[in-house]
Amino acid sequence: MDLFSRIFRPANVAHAHCDGPCGVYDPASARIAAEAVLSMEKKLAALGDGQDLASQNTRGRFIAIKEQQADLCKRELNILWNDYFKPEHLAAIPDLHDIFWQAAKLCSKNKTESNPENGEALLQAIEKIHNAYWKSKNRDVAFVRAS
Amino acid sequence: MLLAITATVLAINTQAGRFMRFAVAGQSMSPALPGGAWVIVDRRAYLRRLPAPGEIVVVPDPRQPRRLLVKRVRSLEPGDAVWLEGDNALASTDSRTFGTVPASSILGRVRWRYAPWAGTVQ
Repeated sequence: MDLFSRIFRPANVAHAHCDGPCGVYDPASARIAAEAVLSMEKKLAALGDGQDLASQNTRGRFIAIKEQQADLCKRELNILWNDYFKPEHLAAIPDLHDIFWQAAKLCSKNKTESNPENGEALLQAIEKIHNAYWKSKNRDVAFVRAS
Repeated sequence: MLLAITATVLAINTQAGRFMRFAVAGQSMSPALPGGAWVIVDRRAYLRRLPAPGEIVVVPDPRQPRRLLVKRVRSLEPGDAVWLEGDNALASTDSRTFGTVPASSILGRVRWRYAPWAGTVQ
């Protein structure tokens, strides 16, 4: 450390922060949950209508995972909507509330039904949120899917 | 030699007396005060008057009084309550979250920045 810094270094800190506890957000967590939902819907469709115990057991597991992941997806979306986005973002993204509302509704629809089209629609809604999120950070991040 | 004495006197005087030195942490006051800036705070700025809108002040976080914040005065409300906001609304927690602060709680006014370069704080 140079002489100037040694003599003049302040002993006090004044904070100019924003204080989210960690401040780490990424729509990817919602996207991964939505991909799991879509995957389960496809597996359920492929499983067919078999009524034997093995088929019923597998179907039950698939439905349970679909339910759980759709719920997780809704929760992850709410964290972004409630905690990350602020009123100031609405100026640049006027349809912000609408895209979140549509995505949350789709999470519910994926729970009440078992149709891969709903999973696909949810992923498309999350892609809009992905774009809004990274636009708000002035970063260009491509939307990718794991599957 | 004279420079060294002046520097030492200034270094001591800005530690406890009227003027205090602060390091700014965080970006909510950038570019006026970028994170890492070193500033001098006048603790007697508001002995005879109230803070005015536009001035940058150091104030205890009302939710956590041992933590000091640096924010800009946006407006004065009835009862000598001060509404504070960071210059970067998106990267700032301020009166929009914790409401107004009493004018009497303000520690002082940020008057000068002396690093990374020197200047009067607007």
